[in-house]
This record gives sequence, C-alpha cells and structure tokens, in this order.
Amino acid sequence: MASSDPSEEAPVSTAELSGLVQGAELFRSLVENGSDAIVSIDESSTILYANRSVERVFGYEPEAMIGERLTMIMPERFRGSHFDAVDRYLETGERQLDWSSIQLPAEHADGHEIPLSITFEEHSYDGERVFSGIMRDVSERVAREEELQRQNERLEEFAGIVSHDLREPLQTAQATLAVARAGDEDALEELEAVFDRMEELIDDVLTLAKQGRAVGETEPVALGDAAEAAWSTAGDGTASLSLEAPPTVSADPERLRALLENLFRNAVEHGGHGVTVTLGALADRPGFFVSDDGAGLGAVDPERLFDYGYTTDDGGTGFGLSIVADIARAHGWSVAAGDSEHGGARFEVVTA
Amino acid sequence: MSDLPVVLAVDDEPRVAEAFALWLGDDYEMRTATGGEEALELMDESVDLVLLDRHMPGLSGDEVLERIREAGHDCKVAMVTAVDPDFDIVDLPFDDYVSKPVDRSALRDAVERLLAVRRYDDRMAQLYATTRTVAALESEKSPASLEDSDEYAALLDRRATLQGELDEMMASMDGEEVRELFELLDT
Repeated sequence: MASSDPSEEAPVSTAELSGLVQGAELFRSLVENGSDAIVSIDESSTILYANRSVERVFGYEPEAMIGERLTMIMPERFRGSHFDAVDRYLETGERQLDWSSIQLPAEHADGHEIPLSITFEEHSYDGERVFSGIMRDVSERVAREEELQRQNERLEEFAGIVSHDLREPLQTAQATLAVARAGDEDALEELEAVFDRMEELIDDVLTLAKQGRAVGETEPVALGDAAEAAWSTAGDGTASLSLEAPPTVSADPERLRALLENLFRNAVEHGGHGVTVTLGALADRPGFFVSDDGAGLGAVDPERLFDYGYTTDDGGTGFGLSIVADIARAHGWSVAAGDSEHGGARFEVVTA
Repeated sequence: MSDLPVVLAVDDEPRVAEAFALWLGDDYEMRTATGGEEALELMDESVDLVLLDRHMPGLSGDEVLERIREAGHDCKVAMVTAVDPDFDIVDLPFDDYVSKPVDRSALRDAVERLLAVRRYDDRMAQLYATTRTVAALESEKSPASLEDSDEYAALLDRRATLQGELDEMMASMDGEEVRELFELLDT
C-alpha cells in the first residue's frame, strides 16, 4: 500500500527533522538541559565544555568549570591514576576502564562524594581529540541498594532469633509430651501454655514485621485517648493507668496504639502486682514518657533492652520493646529507657 | 552404685530435663538439674557426660561449662541448645553441639557417640602409658631378663588387650561415626 503512493514516504518528516538538525537546536537543547551532566575535556584533561546539569550534580556553574582541570570534580585519591590512565590511553590506545557505564564517585563543590554512573566518548573537534563523559548521579539508587542490604541483614538476624525462639518451646512441647506418654498425664495441661507462648511469639513477630515499615499518613492524635484505648487491651485487673497532661502528637494512630500497648504490657509484666503506670508530657522536650512504680530496670542493660528477642522473663517473647523502638524510628522519634524517680522504669519518647 | 555411665542433663525447662532422663534412663544413670548452680552441685568424678542447655537464667550453660573445665572434670559435655551456633562457640571447650529440638533417637545417638569417644580416649591413654612402660623396660633390661619377667609378660598382654579393644571399637563404628570421632579427637 505505502509503496503505491511515493508522496507519503519520508521526505516530509525528514525535511522537518533536517531543519531541526541544521539549526542544532534540538541537540543543543538536549545536551544543555538533559538530566545527565556532560563534561568534555581535551588531551590535557582541561575542561572544554560543561552543560547546565553540572551545577545540579557537582555544585559548580558550567562557566566556573570551563578552563579548569577535570580533577576538580574528582576525589583526591583518583587524581593521580586519572592522569596515568589518560597518558597511557593517548600513547597506546589501551583503556583502563570500561568506557560504557562504569561507577565512580565524584567530588561535589562542597566536598562530599557523589556516586556516578559514567559513559565515556571520544570524538574529534577542530582536529583535536576530545573526550566527553556523560554522568548520571546514582545517589538514590545507591541509597536504595544500601537500604536493601540493611533490610536483608536485619531479616537474617530476625530469622535467627525467630527460629531460636520457636525451637525452644518446641523442645519443651516435645519433652512434655514424652513425659505425659510415660504416664504423667498432668503434664498435658502444660502444653497449652507452651502453645500459647508460641502463638504469642508469632503474633509479635508479625506485628514487628508490619510495624517496621515507614509510617503512612500521620495526624494529630490526642495521646490521652490513645492511651486509654491501648490500656483497655494491655492493662490488667490489678494495674492502673494515670495520665499527667498527655500532649497531642502527630502520629499514625494505629501504630501509636501498638507502641503504647507494648510499653504498657512491658510495665504491667515487669512492674508486678498492682503497678501504677503513668503517661505524661516530657518537661523539656516535645514528647511523652511512660513510667511505672515497679522494680525498675535493675541489672538490665538499657542498651540491649530494645534488641530483638532480648528478654529477662522466660514467658516473654523479647519482641515487645523492639516493636516500640521500630514504631518510634518509623515516625522519626527516639526512645530511651531509664529508671524513674519513683524507683520504677521510665521510657521517654522524644517526638522531635 | 551401678556400673552404668553417668549422664547429667541440665535444662532450665524442668520437663526437658525430665524427658531426657526418661529417654536415656534405661541405659544410663541419670541426674537432672534445672539450673547452672544445681548442675555444679551434682558434678563429681563419676559423671561421664553432661547435656547442657546454653540459655538459662542465672548461671548460663557457657559459664557452667567453663566451671566444669576449671574444676578439672574430664567428662564429655554436649551443648543441647536452640541458640544458633555463632563464632563465639569456637572458644567453648565442649565436645558436641546438638541443636534443639532434639528427639529421643537423636539424643540417644549423640550420647552413645560421645561415650564411645570417651571409652576410646580412655583406652588410648592406657595404651599410650603401657607402650611407654614397655619401651622404658626394653631400653634398660637385657632381652634375657625381660623374657624371664612375669611383669613384662603381663604388660605385653595388657597392651595386646588394649590394642584389640581399640580395634574392635573402630570396627564397630560406621564410617560417619569414625569421621566424627576423629573430628572430635582433633580438638
């Protein structure tokens, strides 16, 4: 069909394109305004050209770079080897690096390093050999990779603890069953508690896996109301909650409730019979505290308190305070433990 | 006192120590402890093997192990634990590391293997001592006087018996056990 009508062939669009090319406006515009930084140098590594994007990537105006040595955007440790590599290439044509897309750090005007993905090109201009680097700032990708690495490490650590914490009660269940089979039927009663402990552990681990993620929408939450709601599930018959001018905080309401539940549960479990738990505003900083009049931290290491699986109590899973720390971190808050002036434990959450 | 090997099972979970005693009680003289301090009280020269939990409140299994070694007990010690082994176990002077949960047959296998190693160690030490005595006599005494000596003859008999016992032990173990044995003997 198309071949039957030659007038519909390329000539029209080619003419349009060639107009653009002749004016070189399209390419100049692409080079000038593209998101990649482009720098061209001569044989002595003097910068001949830099596009506008160099300012965003390196912090220098293009005009400030032209005429300078390329080493101005290189970290000190690469400068010597750069000149050696260029000399060797000019002499032998031997490339020291892969020219298509290598990763190298550059140095920003303010001194910090920027990870770059670079493609090198060689061309001639006015009879001179010119080398151009097309450089893309890959900081975000590198940061994502590092974050992924951290998450993988955390997952591994997590899996180790979980497997340990499940294998222990599994052994107890197996042993208890063996004892029951040998004639001590009362032992069967204990199995329920062992299974409860395993279930609680699995619940905690799931909560932790969910809470570890970044928070979604935050909104002003009246801490007093959130505390009452959390207390209704975490408190017990003999313990009481006292509120001292609880502030309003900007939080994800559901996560905040999980944080409070775990702090309260910790206080109730370790504070002993009839413990009073107090929640109030911090005096000197934005944030709140949860304290109790129980036995206090004692010999517990406050540094290890928030570690996964750390517990001083055989019945505990050791994940409650890890959940607290993770939720606080996800909000950009910090949490610390210490002894309260009333002798019990005191947890402070700083929200700014 | 029976002639059965003595095994001490230590676990802070009473049912676990109880089950271990149940699983091993027919063939071993069992002692059980539910804490580190109690375990040390039950330690004496007659104990052949300790099954030791690592994670216990109070004195931990690792600490109990150190104290057992400090006191000079040469019994075998197997850590029986849900703690994933990390590089820190390199410096712990135990003889075996058994991961929980462990059932009856796995526990019995581990115990039998370790006690076989202990018997082998014991015979090997005796064989070495006997061989050294023979060598000392042979370097001092004339062949004629050796031939006349009843003590020397008894010594040779004893050496032959020990050698026979050791050969028999080796033969009664399968390939896997021999491999594990030599890994253990290497330590």
